[in-house]
Amino acid sequence: MTELEQLRRAMRATERPYPEDLDLTVIMRDGRRLRRRRRLVGAGATALVTVLVAGGVGLGVRWARPPAADRPPARAATVPGATPPATSPPSPGPTRWRPPQQPIGEVIDTGIRYGVDQRVYYLVAVDVPEGPRVRVGLMAGRRTPAGELTNDIVINDVQGSDRRPGFHEIGYDDTTPSDARPPVPTFGYFVGPATRIVGTAGGRQVDARLARWSTDPELVVFWFDPVDLTPGVRLDGIVARDRSGRLL
Amino acid sequence: MARGDAEFVEFARSASGRLRHAAFLMTGNHHQAEDAAQTALVRTYASWSRIRDEDAYGYARTVLVNHLVDGWRRPIREYPTDDLPEQRRGDVADDVATRRWLLDILGALSARERAIVVLRYYFDLPEAQVARELGVSLGTVKSTGSRALQKLRATGTPATQGTGR
Repeated sequence: MTELEQLRRAMRATERPYPEDLDLTVIMRDGRRLRRRRRLVGAGATALVTVLVAGGVGLGVRWARPPAADRPPARAATVPGATPPATSPPSPGPTRWRPPQQPIGEVIDTGIRYGVDQRVYYLVAVDVPEGPRVRVGLMAGRRTPAGELTNDIVINDVQGSDRRPGFHEIGYDDTTPSDARPPVPTFGYFVGPATRIVGTAGGRQVDARLARWSTDPELVVFWFDPVDLTPGVRLDGIVARDRSGRLL
Repeated sequence: MARGDAEFVEFARSASGRLRHAAFLMTGNHHQAEDAAQTALVRTYASWSRIRDEDAYGYARTVLVNHLVDGWRRPIREYPTDDLPEQRRGDVADDVATRRWLLDILGALSARERAIVVLRYYFDLPEAQVARELGVSLGTVKSTGSRALQKLRATGTPATQGTGR
């Protein structure tokens, strides 16, 4: 018997019977709830998005109005009839639409360019019914020279607090790249005094680019340059260090 | 019960065992595996009308694996060995030795590498499909398979470890 056959055989030999404990009632109930949320997201073209949730069930998230003090002056441009990204993973097609609300705080320019457009990240207000302490999500978008924003992917927590110390959700772009929408670099945010964030992928360490959120400097937005880490490639690990190199 | 629901029940009963075992191979933890399999089935049911006539099992498998790989921030590095294996067949000591040997090998790999090994050698998927489902290169799949084999050779087989057979 070859070693591969040994491995295959061992994987099957250690199977345990899983007979009657399958709770189909709960599974189907939760599945219906999830389906309803997805429908709600699909139907609410004016105000709803679905988020990519790493490791959790995708939950409908409603755009919420940010505090007036955080709202920048309204811009004139609008895109009538356009729809927001409404599926998980996010729809790959162009989703140039005017968000109902503006970014909270300053828009972060990554320095990544697609022609004249910039890759930008910005915090947006979200309303998660199951997570009352989750009020913001992180949006990956693009900005035209005229300042018009295109939303690509939003990530946010679905429970707990959006300011919990440590790493929050990581945004991966799983869609097929197209001319209409360039791939979104892997991104996320960390809450705490991080000055360096290093991811590991395929045994290789990759430094993230960092920027602090203007509204709350404890919130550190990070992203991986697509040259260093191909968008969509999963990280095997990630760590944050403070100014003295201490692991956070 | 609607026809679609009846079909899903049949599907869930037939698929849950393998999904749970695959999750166990990736995590080494029965409770986490059970949760992951349940999550995969919930999401599969939520999309049932769309996928029931396609590859529902493939959909559930992909959801399961991505769910676990995405959960790398909560890796399970400890593999409990104090729970007795089911005594459905063979010798208990034999099962324990095989399981320890297997978990030793898998435990030395990263979450993504474990996913590759499970998709490749438990689900028997072609390398190209593994690469596609995990969003990694074909080379990564090949090299990970080689690494698992090296570990396997270094660890020896249950028969050569002196605890079984």
